[in-house]
Parts: sequence; C-alpha cells; structure tokens
Amino acid sequence: MRILALDTALPAISACVLDSGATEPLVIESLPMERGHAEALLPLIERVMAQVEGGFASLDRIAVTVGPGSFTGIRVAISAARGFGVALDIPVVGVSTLAAFAAPLVLGPKPAQERESALPGVIVSAIDARHGQVYLQACSQTGAILLAPTVLPLAEAIDKLPPGPLRITGSAAPLLAIAAWSGHRAAEVEGEIVATPILYVARLGMIADPEGAPPRPLYIKAPDVKPPSPFRFSFA
Amino acid sequence: MRVLGIESTCDETAASVVELRPNGSGAILSNEVHSQIAEHAAYGGVVPEIAARAHVEILDHLVRRALDKAGLRFSQLDGVAAAAGPGLIGGVMVGLTTGKALALAGAKPFMAINHLEAHALTARLTDGVDFPYLLLLVSGGHTQLIAVRGVGEYTRIGATVDDAIGEAFDKVAKMLNLPYPGGPQVERAAQTGDPTIFDLPRPMLRRPGADFSLSGLKTAVRLEIQRLGRTPRPNDVADLCASFQAAVVDVIGDRTRAGLRLFREQFGPPQALVVAGGVAANQAIGHALSRLSTQTGVKLVIPPPGLCTDNGAMIAWAGLERLRLGMTDAMDFAPRPRWPLDAGAQRSHNGKA
Ligand SMILES: Nc1ncnc2c1ncn2[C@@H]1O[C@H](COP(=O)(O)OP(=O)(O)OP(=O)(O)O)[C@@H](O)[C@H]1O
Repeated sequence: MRILALDTALPAISACVLDSGATEPLVIESLPMERGHAEALLPLIERVMAQVEGGFASLDRIAVTVGPGSFTGIRVAISAARGFGVALDIPVVGVSTLAAFAAPLVLGPKPAQERESALPGVIVSAIDARHGQVYLQACSQTGAILLAPTVLPLAEAIDKLPPGPLRITGSAAPLLAIAAWSGHRAAEVEGEIVATPILYVARLGMIADPEGAPPRPLYIKAPDVKPPSPFRFSFA
Repeated sequence: MRVLGIESTCDETAASVVELRPNGSGAILSNEVHSQIAEHAAYGGVVPEIAARAHVEILDHLVRRALDKAGLRFSQLDGVAAAAGPGLIGGVMVGLTTGKALALAGAKPFMAINHLEAHALTARLTDGVDFPYLLLLVSGGHTQLIAVRGVGEYTRIGATVDDAIGEAFDKVAKMLNLPYPGGPQVERAAQTGDPTIFDLPRPMLRRPGADFSLSGLKTAVRLEIQRLGRTPRPNDVADLCASFQAAVVDVIGDRTRAGLRLFREQFGPPQALVVAGGVAANQAIGHALSRLSTQTGVKLVIPPPGLCTDNGAMIAWAGLERLRLGMTDAMDFAPRPRWPLDAGAQRSHNGKA
C-alpha cells in the first residue's frame, strides 16, 4: 500500500509518501509556517508528488491529521485530503495529532529490543490550545489510552494524568513539563515538539481501519460563538 | 466541455456540474445545495466558525452527489472551479482547498472564481445574455450596480454607502421579531399591510450618481416602532413591512434608472438589465423592475430564485467562461475575503458595498 499523509493542524505544513513495509518515506517535506497554510499546502503536495513515480495514480490511501490544533488548519488539510479521496476514489483516514505525537514514543524510533531502556511511564501528548489551556492525551508504553483526548487548563492538567513518571511530547510539552516539575513530578520532554511527526501520521494511517477513522475534524473545543448581534458580512 | 463548481463563501455549501453546449449556451447537469440556515437561525445571523465547520463536514459528499446526478465520473470533467471569495475566510478555504485538490489529483485545469463574478455571469448561463449589460446585485451582503462588459471586465456604477438591501430587510425583520432570514418574512407580512400608513424616507432619491443608502430607512422604521409606544400588533407589523418595502422599491427603481443612464453614457446601450442576489426573489421589487424595463426598453433578466442565491452552478459556469478563454489559476491562489469585482474601484465608504 502507498499512502500520502498531510498535516496543517499546527504551525507547519507537512506531507509524506510512504510504502508499506518501508521504514523510510519515499518523499517527505515539512515547512514551519505560522499562517498561509491554505496557499502553501497544495504547491507543497504538488512538489512532493512530482517526486513519486506513478504520481497520484499510484496512491492507495490518504491519511490526514484531524486535530486537535488550529481550527482553520485542521480544515485545510482535511479539505485537501477529502478532495484527493474523491478525485482518486481511494479511502481517506483521519489521524489525531495527539496520537501522531505519541506514536514515535510507542512504536519507537527503533525496535523495542534495541532501546536503551524499557522507559516505563505515561506517554503524554500535549498541544498548545492557547489561553492557558492544553489539548492532552495520555497512553501507556504499549499505546493503551489512559486519558482520552481532552482540553484542560495547564494548571489542572498534571493532576488529571495517571500516576507514574511522565514522558511528554508535543508542542506544549515544555510547558507541561515545567508544570510537572514545579509539582515535584518526574517528567521528561521527548520526541517532536514543533510539527506533527508526519511520518508517523503515514504509519498510523496505514494501519487505521477506514471505517473507524473517518477524516472528520477533532476540534475538542466548541466554536467560540458570540451572543446574537445584528451583524452581516460584506466583503467587496 | 464540463466543469465542476464549488461554492462555500457564506452559509450555503454547494457543488454543481455545468456543461457548455456547442452553441455557447450552458446546461446544468446537477446542482446540489446544502443550506445552513438551521445551524445559524438561533444566532440571528451567520456565525463564521459554525459555517466553516458545516462546510468541511459535507462538501465532499455534495461533490460526489453532483457527479452522480450528472451521471459522470470525475475523470470525465474538463476542469474544476471553486469560489475563492469574497466571503467568510474559513468557509472559502474549505471550498477553495477542496477544489484545488480535486484539480491537482485529476490533472485538470483549476479556476479560482470571484463569487460576485459568478452572480454577474449567471444570466449568460440561463438566458444567453450578450455583453455588455447592467447587473443589479442585491443580496444580504451586496448592493451594487455593475456594468458587465466581458469576462473579467466589470465597472462599478453604483453601490450602497451603508447597509446592503437584504441586510436592511433582515434588520427590519429582527426589529419586528420576525424569524431569520427576514427578507421573505417581510415580503409575506407586507402583502396584508397598507404601505401608506407609515411615511418612510426614500434615501438618495434623484441624487446624482447611482449609489444607494439604506441605513436611514432602517432607522426610520426603528423610530416608528418606538413611536407606536407598544409592541407592534400583527397589523402594525404588516403596515410597517409594507411601508418599508414600498420605500425600498422606490429606491431601487430610482437608483437602477440612474444606473441605466450612467451605463448608456459610458458604454452605450445595454443588452439587458440583469438582477442577481437573494433579494431578486422579492416580487414587489421584480414588478418595479419590470415596469422600469418596459419604460426604458431594456430587456429584464431575473434568473430563477435558486440561481440568484448562492449556488454551485454559477461557479461552474464562471469556470467554464474562464476556461474557454484560457484563464486558469495556480495552486497557490490565496483565499480573498475581500475581492471587489472592479479591480480599479476605490474602497467603498465602509466596505459594505
Ligand atoms: N423575498 C425577499 N424579499 C427581500 N429580501 C429577500 C427575499 N428573499 C431573500 N431576501 C434576502 O436576500 C438575502 C440572502 O441573499 P443571498 O443568499 O443571495 O445572499 P447572502 O448569502 O446574503 O450574501 P452574498 O451577498 O454573499 O451573496 C437575505 O438578506 C434575505 O433576507
């Protein structure tokens, strides 16, 4: 199976193409980016696919991050992924950014037996949700979910995590680690802390069941809706 | 030649396939629209984040349905068009990105469409109108008179200096506690009302130029409600709606007449007077414009209501018009929340035109 993975949920745009059985991606590209994801994503994918023999027609599946992250960013990659799905008539699967951050710690950069230590502890994925909040998920070293994806004030997050030393990853990992240390809890920052690890989006997308992993946004937060006002929009 | 059109600039998600016939006319092979009115009704207006969430949820399903109903596979299309603005940026990004992805993966030409241009060209799809013509665009977000001289050649002749006409209808409806969207409600209530009970102003009447102003009229309605000194009774509501609508009809008639005059001075005789936008569904306004058409001898074209409000067919058609002239767009085309039709126009007084 050949999969194209896309992500624009965080301040970066990334894409990679991976064949099943391969450890290295065919092509991988990631650019840090605060804004402008909507303009930059398709040109990046165009570049990436130009390097893949067989091009779009050789793809069997699309994987896309569904959040949590920037609401707008989530929708950009999902719109692109679903568009590819229709044009190529292939399945599109959604992968959470929290799961993608945890994946290198669970699946390992190296096979388990080669790792220096078994590294017991709780794997925590944390993404900045702004306004003093973090998106959070915790799982065991085998990937079993201990705390389902949620959003919490930074101050409360540590108390909600299961006992044990914390292995924290994700864009809010440094923030959360500081909170842990100040509460005298053992914690380490590991893995990616900037962009979603796109290679692991591809890996998780490869093993996902399309029925169980639809490419639907995982916002976690409700829309910020202001009270009714007699507003209208006009643009020209 | 067949093009898929995608629309997601406001509160309608839409996808449509339109075919260019050898004689230059267009045929709508499918036209799927999902309105979000129910999602926004509780807020009395369109909430951008709710709109964007609804668009991404449903757009690819609508595209599939549009292809199914047209009896086509994606590979049988000749191009993909998506509205790139003006509109709510969150929704525009969804439609624009979906359209680009479809075009890129299918190796098809891509056209980024100005939503206003699509409204402007619809009369060519439905009635084969020739250039040049005068467009009266009246919707919840826009009130403009535009000289349409060719694809991509638009000159603004007049515009509102404050509220859009549909917006004024909606605000009046809100003052009278009528449900959202207010335009059709005001029209219905007006049917049983007496338009002479309340003496409302006709802003800009007989002024030079062809600009509109609606906010004074809206304020006058508010003052009349206050002057009643009670919650308006059903007959008050009917009379207020009738009086308001009569004032709007007079304003539109006068300003459009002025627009036709300016058009002739600058561009010669127009081939038609074309109306677009949701307010075009209003029958009293329609009648006034058809009187104007008889008096001036300019043919009146009002596309069917479903093609006057936001829809995918108009985007597909604008895409076809551009594709056959070789006007395609690149994958880095950015969404344009603001995008005036006439590139040279100075910004309108408050950006509301
Ligand atoms: N019968 C009617 N009489 C008066 N106004 C009406 C009538 N029917 C619809 N409208 C008004 O038309 C507007 C909706 O039009 P439409 O859907 O074309 O535009 P929109 O979504 O507001 O914005 P845009 O300007 O971006 O196209 C609303 O303001 C509505 O109240």
